[in-house]
Amino acid sequence: MHRLDRIFEQSSRSLAQRTSRRSFVAVLGQILTGSLLLPLLPIDRVSRAAAASLEPDAAPPPPAHKSPATAAHQAGSDDPQSCDYWKYCAIDGFLCSCCGGSSHSCPPGTAMSAVAWIGTCHNPGDGRDYIVTYNDCCGKTSCGNCGCNRNERERPLYRLLRNNDINWCVANADSNYHCTVSVILGLAEKDQK
Amino acid sequence: MRTLQFRAALLALLVNGGAFAAPPLAAEKLTVEPLPPPGPHWVYVVDEAFFNEIDARVRLFDGDSYRHLGQIDAGFSPGVIESPDGSTTAVTTTYYARGGHGARTDVVEFTDNSTLATAGEIVLPPKRAQIPPTLFNLAYSTDARFLYVSYITPAGSFGVLDPKDKTVLDEIDTAGCVLVIASGPNRVSSFCDSGRLLTVTLDSQGHEAARALSEVLFNPDDDPIFVQGVPTANGYAFVSFLGQMHEVDFSGAQPSIHAPWSLVSAGERGRWRPGGTQVAAIHRQLGRLYVPMHRGGEGSHKQGGSEIWVFDLNTHRRLARWPMAASHIGPVTAVQVSQDASPVLFAGSDDGAVGVLDALTGQLRHLDKNLGQTPWMFLSP
Amino acid sequence: MSRWRWSVSALVLVSASAVASPTQDYVLNCMGCHGATAEGVPGKVPPLAHTLLQFMRSPAGRSYVLRVPGASNSRLSDVQLAAVLNWIAGNFGSVTLAVSTPPFTAQEVAATRHTPMASLRATRREVLKELAASGPAPSEDY
Repeated sequence: MHRLDRIFEQSSRSLAQRTSRRSFVAVLGQILTGSLLLPLLPIDRVSRAAAASLEPDAAPPPPAHKSPATAAHQAGSDDPQSCDYWKYCAIDGFLCSCCGGSSHSCPPGTAMSAVAWIGTCHNPGDGRDYIVTYNDCCGKTSCGNCGCNRNERERPLYRLLRNNDINWCVANADSNYHCTVSVILGLAEKDQK
Repeated sequence: MRTLQFRAALLALLVNGGAFAAPPLAAEKLTVEPLPPPGPHWVYVVDEAFFNEIDARVRLFDGDSYRHLGQIDAGFSPGVIESPDGSTTAVTTTYYARGGHGARTDVVEFTDNSTLATAGEIVLPPKRAQIPPTLFNLAYSTDARFLYVSYITPAGSFGVLDPKDKTVLDEIDTAGCVLVIASGPNRVSSFCDSGRLLTVTLDSQGHEAARALSEVLFNPDDDPIFVQGVPTANGYAFVSFLGQMHEVDFSGAQPSIHAPWSLVSAGERGRWRPGGTQVAAIHRQLGRLYVPMHRGGEGSHKQGGSEIWVFDLNTHRRLARWPMAASHIGPVTAVQVSQDASPVLFAGSDDGAVGVLDALTGQLRHLDKNLGQTPWMFLSP
Repeated sequence: MSRWRWSVSALVLVSASAVASPTQDYVLNCMGCHGATAEGVPGKVPPLAHTLLQFMRSPAGRSYVLRVPGASNSRLSDVQLAAVLNWIAGNFGSVTLAVSTPPFTAQEVAATRHTPMASLRATRREVLKELAASGPAPSEDY
């Protein structure tokens, strides 16, 4: 069984116990077990990155005419307050890790967005593609710190489920946009558009 | 030595005495400046004010005097459009009762363009699409009978409003398709995930009369088009991520597309790309197209242009490449061109600078280094 | 139960060659709005848990499900869409109902999904009324 299947094996088992729907990131927080997060431990990423480039599923080499900005993102970073952090490959907004939250938690007093978009990011540290959910944190005015504009595999508004232009606080009662997080859901089976 | 001191004292006396001799400044009268009559190079600069986003504004700027002439408030994540006769600016926006939070009010606010005074509003259901500005967040029918506002909740639909009576007439479901491209007196097209356009035709009361889905007009997977369309003689032009130009004719009952053509050579394809928040401008009479271009790859579609490329819309030939570094303008994320015979090109960058260039030669006429915070879209009156 | 599971597995095998598993298709194409437990957001995003299976009981309900925006305009192929819908029904639905409900096929999806729905709200009202008259159905304010 694939790793992602395990999420739902557990979620459907626990479905009956839950009567009201909570924010899905909160639910996922319960669902995601240590096994899913294991590949993320930052063990000597640099040497693993070198090894990863030999793996068949490693990302293709960057295009010859990439911009300097793109080059920095390709190199990746483990700093959650840096826009170059690999997990932020399609965040257009303010990093919650610079606003009192973390790369996967909202700042105090804000609310998690009830809906989100979900995509994949390549981790050069282990050569794997991960499925991440980009949630906005809502209910306060824009944080303004660590503005980050990356758009790998991001698509225009008509492809809403791959779009980071819309305010994903859209379905919240207090819908003002504050900042954005990137939460790992699991490994991708294969790269998807 | 003594003589020197004497001379200095005498000089000081003369200077002071001279100052006392001039008449005092006249008392001033506080007034409100009237807006001067419109100039050919006026432009409305939509400043998203992204770093404190509840305070967006539209700045009226004169590309001849280089003066900021006035401001229209625009709230949170607004859509902005001019009425067909140019008399009115319509802003659709959201206000929260306590500034950054509290009860949400979605609204369309009207401004009289001759005075910049507010001129009424229409309160909307709390559904409007909170997205960056495009020409299709809200749109007037050609006869200004209807005003359409894009809703995303995240379900897609649009509101049909009566801008004269200031009422909401109906809400039309768009089956997941988004934005409002108005054509004729009663047609609204929306972009669909499948690369098609959904066109809804309204009856005289603003209710749905018919709907039709077009053929696939673009490839949303491999080479999606930007939703920032540019008006052409009979419709809109849309550039794609990889630099294909799609001209769509909206003059008939259903949209139809001309054969796409390429802004880039085979060698440039995928390396040089359009990008930004307003990714093209067209001078309709001259048939000239202006596109900010940058060297980039997958994911660089919001990166500003290091150059502006100029094309002849009829022959599809590239006429010029204008490097922006020569004009000291940062990466250009938004462009607009005036429609007169001596046109100027407005080039905005994400650091808030706006360049005014001669649209025929590319010569920089003026660089305003701080015309706001994030000027994401220009509207020519 | 076993028959249902078998049908779903067969469809999964078909779709595996296409792109990815229905699990991943659900995560990448549905879960952002419908949520990890497919319960939706009250008043904003309709639930799929339990209700999808209920819609699948009748021809009108099946047609409705395949023509709602999220299905009709989805980038998923007919094969993928059939597989992911069956997967949702199997994972987030009632086991008893599943036994008697035939899964979607790619053919059924292809034949139905691109017929536009004139009024989503009116169609939904009619379908809900019909379903309520014949067995387990989503609530009226669905």
